Amino acid sequence: MTAALFSSIDAVRSAFEAESYVADRALALTVMLAARLEKPMLLEGEAGVGKTEVAKVLARALDTELIRLQCYEGLDVHTSLYEWNHARQMLSIRMAEAAHDDRAAIEKHVFGDEFLLERPLLRAIRHRGPRPAVLLIDEIDRADEEFEAFLLEVLSDFQVTIPEIGTLTAEQKPLVVVTSNRTRELNDALKRRCLYLWIDYPTAEREREIVLRKVPGIRETLADRIAAIMQTLRKIDFAKAPGVAETLDWSRALLGLDVDDVAPAILEDTAGCLLKCREDVDCLRTVGAAAILADDVPAAPRMERAW
Amino acid sequence: MVDQTVALRSADELVGRILAFSRMLRESGLAVTPGRIVDAARSLPLVGLDERDELRLALRTNFASSREEEQLFDRAFDGFWNERPRQSSSRIETDDEPAAEGESLAAVSATSDAADPSAARYGRIEADAERDLRDRWPGGSREFDRAIDALIRSLATRRSRRYRAARRGPRVDFRRSLRRSAARGADVHEIVRARPKIRKTRLILLYDVSGSMADATSFLLRFLLGVQRRLPGSRSAVFSTRFTEVTRALRRRGVAATLEHLARAARHWSGGTDIGGALAVLNRGVVRDGSARSTICLIVSDGYDHGDPERIAREMALLSRRVRRIVWINPLFGTEGYQPLARGMHAALPWIDRFLPGHDVRALRRLTAELGAM
Repeated sequence: MTAALFSSIDAVRSAFEAESYVADRALALTVMLAARLEKPMLLEGEAGVGKTEVAKVLARALDTELIRLQCYEGLDVHTSLYEWNHARQMLSIRMAEAAHDDRAAIEKHVFGDEFLLERPLLRAIRHRGPRPAVLLIDEIDRADEEFEAFLLEVLSDFQVTIPEIGTLTAEQKPLVVVTSNRTRELNDALKRRCLYLWIDYPTAEREREIVLRKVPGIRETLADRIAAIMQTLRKIDFAKAPGVAETLDWSRALLGLDVDDVAPAILEDTAGCLLKCREDVDCLRTVGAAAILADDVPAAPRMERAW
Repeated sequence: MVDQTVALRSADELVGRILAFSRMLRESGLAVTPGRIVDAARSLPLVGLDERDELRLALRTNFASSREEEQLFDRAFDGFWNERPRQSSSRIETDDEPAAEGESLAAVSATSDAADPSAARYGRIEADAERDLRDRWPGGSREFDRAIDALIRSLATRRSRRYRAARRGPRVDFRRSLRRSAARGADVHEIVRARPKIRKTRLILLYDVSGSMADATSFLLRFLLGVQRRLPGSRSAVFSTRFTEVTRALRRRGVAATLEHLARAARHWSGGTDIGGALAVLNRGVVRDGSARSTICLIVSDGYDHGDPERIAREMALLSRRVRRIVWINPLFGTEGYQPLARGMHAALPWIDRFLPGHDVRALRRLTAELGAM
């Protein structure tokens, strides 16, 4: 099944489509290569373009376990790899002592499997097939650089050493999806290890398809209109441009309001679905809902940048 | 049999082409490693090679590792495989592409020259931007370096969310306690505690390198290098009408190499200014999503600006909610009779936590005292 799924770009695309994810060629190709070359894929892009969803869909398509490691500042070995259940260990030691057990036996016992708290990375390594697990390392840019270095080690051979137990090696390497919002530059070595893909906002065509797939009952004409308006909205210099999740929220709202077309008043009233900060709502008012619907907005003066 | 040989020969040929292409990519600045070349070659049998686009995507996912690199790759690919370049929506500055917007900038400064008598101060065209930075490097100044050291020390007192073992501390380090006790029988004799590591505050430094700031450049360079060396977690960016992060350039060893690298990374020294645009880049990148709530943002600029003051105000409001403090150092502040009247400065003022002079060592000491008090 795994082999069939990754046999070609089209196979990946149709598998994703069956899970209601509209993947473009570049994404399908990266997924296929990542699986066949057994390399992690690093997906970068603005918030809300569906990076995390890729891993979820992949796990569903493979009918396998999704193991998620959400990164944050201060994430360390104990919360990402493993931790001993100390309270249970202590209790067990007490009981063993009361029963006058032999010391070596106690030690062997309390560092056994049942006292090991498995965290996402260890879980991914110990995953026993038949199909590979999908390991999602979400928002790696939130973790600190120390963790990145540690992660690199794990990703390079899927092998960890727990002093009390020994070295564990993955029998079935997981499919690894690393996502980043690009709030900081990642370690070069980590980037080199991964296949890279920048995921952009969807084209109007693709977004229309996404809306039709994800919002059952919506009329095609309205989906067309929504997709076109989203393209216009993303030209405006918002602090947080609306992503695909916002498009879907908004589509559902419009469906709920039972409108045929988007009038300026409706856009203003439902702006809360699309924009999540006050400055942006103000900005929408300044530009004017009518102008947005007519696709008559000044292009955002984006400054050229280089990192 | 014959067919196979032909196929083999063309595969060989393809590998040869890939190798040549890799060399070209390396020259244009991508990190092409043997491992990547091998993986790229391994990818080829997996995609339909008669389709040019698949070849491009397959090689790109192996060789590029950022959006800019993807764009750089696409251009290189089109050049190498000899076809018409595809349309690219946004242009990204690269080293091999010297600033070509002299014209448009000249137009901007021409109009503003007419409108604003003070424009001569900042309206210089980017044509003379590549002046050697080394000319502006001030000789060694112990006092200055010491002032920077003091500044760093005063910043380096923040608590981390990571813990380390300690005799006293608010948290018990169970793992260590138990391990230690295990050596002497199973009883817990000694509780090892943990307390937060001390972490250096992260700074985000945003430096205005437009023409009007030319006089302050030597101060700037020293400050930039000093802070980056001592607070490695910090990030530095310079801007005029463009925005360039220079954190990496500053990690070089040796002043000369750093300056050279800096000059190459940021080709827009002494241009016009777009403060609002630079803040927007910051807000949509480095400090997005509240990832920088414990960061101090330090802006060094005189506030002379071409752009829309309202945009500056809007972006400052956003920034102020995302970082812990905004400190603005204005080299003009401190000169006699200075008032923050420049439009950009005026627009930014309400969101600044500390507005400080920064033209000499004394000003720097004051800055240290103020930052320490935060």
